[in-house]
Amino acid sequence: MQNPYEVLGIREGASVEEIKRAYRELVKKYHPDQYRDNPLSDLAEKKLAEINEAYDYLMKNAGASGSSNNSSSYSRSNTGSWNSQNMNNFYVQVKMHINSGNIGAAEQMLDSTNDRSAQWYYLKGLVCLRRGWYDQARSYVQTACSMDPGNMEYRDVLNRMMNANTAYRGSVYNRGYRQDYDWCQICSTLWCLDTCCECGGCDLIECL
Amino acid sequence: MFGYIVPEKPELKIREYEVFKAYYCGVCKSIGRRYGQLPRFTLNYDSTFLALLLSSVSNSKTEIKRERCIAHPLKKRNVLKSTEILDYAADMNIVLAYYNLMDNWKDEKSIIGYSGALALKKAFKKINRRHGNKCRIIRENLDRLNKLEKDRCNSIDEASEPFSKLMEEIMAYEACCEDESREKILRWIGYNIGKWIYVLDAYDDLEKDVKNKTYNPLICQYEYKGGDIKDFKESILSNTEFILTYCLDQIAKSYELLGNNKNKGLIENILYQGMLKKTDQVLKYKNIKKCKTRGR
Repeated sequence: MQNPYEVLGIREGASVEEIKRAYRELVKKYHPDQYRDNPLSDLAEKKLAEINEAYDYLMKNAGASGSSNNSSSYSRSNTGSWNSQNMNNFYVQVKMHINSGNIGAAEQMLDSTNDRSAQWYYLKGLVCLRRGWYDQARSYVQTACSMDPGNMEYRDVLNRMMNANTAYRGSVYNRGYRQDYDWCQICSTLWCLDTCCECGGCDLIECL
Repeated sequence: MFGYIVPEKPELKIREYEVFKAYYCGVCKSIGRRYGQLPRFTLNYDSTFLALLLSSVSNSKTEIKRERCIAHPLKKRNVLKSTEILDYAADMNIVLAYYNLMDNWKDEKSIIGYSGALALKKAFKKINRRHGNKCRIIRENLDRLNKLEKDRCNSIDEASEPFSKLMEEIMAYEACCEDESREKILRWIGYNIGKWIYVLDAYDDLEKDVKNKTYNPLICQYEYKGGDIKDFKESILSNTEFILTYCLDQIAKSYELLGNNKNKGLIENILYQGMLKKTDQVLKYKNIKKCKTRGR
């Protein structure tokens, strides 16, 4: 086993609070949801398992109160919760190929059929996503969504794809790389603040 | 390569900036030492990043020394002492430059292309002996790319595939891929960097390509039929932005899987900031809509 402190990225002898905080951050980062349509998802899972192991180890040894609660570390939720009975066998197989990372086989199966149902477009989109063909992936999944607007699974994938943009920018922002506020904004904020203050009876900036 | 991959200088620590420069000079010196002065002109920032990323995952020791060089004879500068990885990045830089010049000569009969390729020929032959397999795969992908361009391929995904695969191959340097999962991560980073570069370059070149009537995958996919090029650019903006940020998102996520490495701050600066800034510059993001993530 690797040094658990190293795995969690904290100094040796860190407090329980620090361990928990680091653990929460890492789980957020390597959560399966973050890597769901990513060809590296198995590696992310492995990483998460390492983190869980390190966390469990540290919490057990720290002998923290209530550690039995805390050691119930995150385990992968069952993401493949689709109803296999209602689906025909063919697409189940395609899906299995996609989930196991065998993109070539999934694509071959999809190309071999003449069926062009919403399901087909959706799976074709997933295949494209794994291969890095993002533009086509988006248009396939969009087609699937418009053919079957009630399907939450399709909608979910589409939303996640479209959110990647905002999420990425958000993560850049959270790293402390923020864009500068322009002077206009600062002035208007001050002015607003001053007005609010005056309503309350006092004054923030006398000359305004 | 195109030199799109640069750090966001104002956000760097001075120490990190010095390290970046040391890598840049290190790659340059590596070319000069082994192939003479002329090939040094082909150096660009992308190969610096290649050296930086590959060095960060390898266990080899790096050492910075102070040296003079021809371009800056008066002041000593920080230079990274030569390593196998620096040499590899330098080699790949030359291979791409050589193939690029050769293609220019073949397609447009450009004299510059011919004389440039001639100057690099000796260096290329040496590299071909050492990294024959990489050179072959790079050549195959460039041929595939040329064919797609001749056929006026009308899908940006298909058109960007060969270049993405090419970058994938370059990123997967054997000496850094001792375990399978690391190779997988490096390859996926390479693929997405290649795609990002190709799509960004296509969008950047739209005006030029319309004027010269040269091939551009975006023109073919979205069927530009004359009219104001600015309107056209704006109409495809959100689709292009989607592809580009998706690539960046994938690169960042893959990098997180590489673990704690050397020069983390510097590499993260490039991945999270330098590349996003470049994207925004090319898309002129700020002029069209304000960044949504400004307020929490």
